[in-house]
Amino acid sequence: MTKPLEVRDTQVNTKVSSKSYALQESAMIKWMLIIISLIYIGLFLILPLLSIFVTAFEKGWETYVASIVHPDALAAIKLTLIVAIIVVPLNAIFGLAAAWAITKFSFKGKNVLITLIDLPFAVSPVIAGLIFILLFGAQGLLGEWLIAHDIKIVFALTGIVLATLFVTFPFVARELIPLMQMQGITEEEASISLGASGWKTFLYVTLPNCKWGLLYGLILCNARTIGEFGAVSVVSGHIRGMTNTMPLHIEILYNEYQFTAAFAVASLMSILAIVTIIIKNIVAWKAKEV
Amino acid sequence: MSIQIQHVTKSFGTFQALKDISIDIESGELIALLGPSGSGKTTLLRILAGLEGLDGGRILFDGEDITNVSPKERKIGFVFQHYALFRHMTVFDNVAYGLKVRPRKIRPSKEEIAKKVHELLSLVKLENFHDRYPSQLSGGQRQRVALARALAVEPKVLLLDEPFGALDAKVRKELRRWLRKLHDEFNVTSIFVTHDQEEALDVANRIIVMNQGKIEQVGTPEEVYDNPKSPFVYDFLGNVNIFKGRLQNGKLKQGLFEINAPHALNSYEEAIGYVRPHDIQIEKEKVNNETVAAKIMYIHVVGPTVQIELKRQDVDEYLEAELTKEQYKTLNIQKGDIVYVRPKQLKVFIPEDFSI
Repeated sequence: MTKPLEVRDTQVNTKVSSKSYALQESAMIKWMLIIISLIYIGLFLILPLLSIFVTAFEKGWETYVASIVHPDALAAIKLTLIVAIIVVPLNAIFGLAAAWAITKFSFKGKNVLITLIDLPFAVSPVIAGLIFILLFGAQGLLGEWLIAHDIKIVFALTGIVLATLFVTFPFVARELIPLMQMQGITEEEASISLGASGWKTFLYVTLPNCKWGLLYGLILCNARTIGEFGAVSVVSGHIRGMTNTMPLHIEILYNEYQFTAAFAVASLMSILAIVTIIIKNIVAWKAKEV
Repeated sequence: MSIQIQHVTKSFGTFQALKDISIDIESGELIALLGPSGSGKTTLLRILAGLEGLDGGRILFDGEDITNVSPKERKIGFVFQHYALFRHMTVFDNVAYGLKVRPRKIRPSKEEIAKKVHELLSLVKLENFHDRYPSQLSGGQRQRVALARALAVEPKVLLLDEPFGALDAKVRKELRRWLRKLHDEFNVTSIFVTHDQEEALDVANRIIVMNQGKIEQVGTPEEVYDNPKSPFVYDFLGNVNIFKGRLQNGKLKQGLFEINAPHALNSYEEAIGYVRPHDIQIEKEKVNNETVAAKIMYIHVVGPTVQIELKRQDVDEYLEAELTKEQYKTLNIQKGDIVYVRPKQLKVFIPEDFSI
């Protein structure tokens, strides 16, 4: 995972080191390294990406459009977007709260909190999904109580949202913590000493100072939310037109040998991913300017 | 606004930053909190601003207990050591901030705010910089924006944390003069923290010397410089020569060498005499036992003063003397000469003075 700050630093460093005489290599080594990188990226990134689009359009434009406007596909797209609309703002609030707490206050167990925030990165998404099945499933800890009260979590939107939240909550916090740590608390102190309330200080000083980091985190969080497969697969139950998100829908189509349709939806996701990367880079560039 | 600090204590974990501090500050004073790092001066300033809580004691502003009043209601202006300007706001918005964030009822109109900000910016000679960002300003300019921003809220007390610490010598001197002018103009009680004794002596009308969480001495610059109450203050304010010896019958004795110490009446086995370099008299002939032979090691001529480094011939100690250029010319001394040194003014401290 890249953090915008570190990206900024490395960019500065490479700028310096590319001019550094001591780090000059011979032209051969330079070109060899560049070619290795290019081959690698071409083989493992560009080629598969191209093959997605080639396969998607194999049977022509009409089949492509038909695969995407198919009711099940549309339902999957809609569900994916609903999940993103719920998950991303919640993670924004959580990320800001956690980063604020960690960087502006000192309290016991701070390091434990920082470690816990990283936990979803360490745990396999499948396990994350299973946790919710074990908690809320029919045979789960709270299963009977939920059934008695007619609350559906597993195999429903709620479960998908919970699993996605679990997998994606570190993104925003992880972006903001180093940024806010670097910025320190003196600007907030200055704001308070000038008579601003805590809320106004947050609104006028803290938030504008970390807005690019926040946005960057949200973009990464959004990308992961849309693409999450493992955790969602476990809790969703794969009910067509009901609990299938886009990645799950692609898998089902593929398993049914509907390659063109599968790749058509996949190409849609790839476009989303590419747009995300472009926005991400614009944000990173903007953040560097400020 | 007058300030009373009464028995204030503060600890950070096991470190006691302030130990029972009490000071009365009168309205309109310009006070320097002077001390080495770790002496508690910044902590005291932050407690006055309400940025730091205190463990014991209380603080009164104009006789009113404000110990538990939040910083935003204290009517203080705080200038931070590294300015703490809002990096995403222009100079104008920085200065306007304190007025803009006021509750609607007491917030001035947009036009009034703009007028006030431009007034302040012209006062700090930055009218043409109103649309710049802090990162586009020099250190001295940032400091002036920070001052204008603090003054915009019309504070009753101006608190400055090492205001000139990060600036180069020339800008520093200019800003010092300028702070004093500003203080006189606004007639606001001002307290600034510094570790630079020259700065404190130059700017303040009263100096509070702090060391290890305690107040060593409070007084006008002349008082603390000419009449230091403790060895620490003597040492901290300017250069000093040390004469160790036995105190007997109003004389400090060390071997053959005897200096009159008329204020010290009791006898002590161990005492230390402090002499400022400009209170060292150099003579070419030995007159009496009050002088000590020393060899001139180094002569350094800076502007109107001449600094002379001497090595005592009786013990292995160095002395520093400061002469005017005229004295130096009349004396006609050179590097390597043996001369006789006599302290003109000596302040003797006994061991009890050190056990602080």
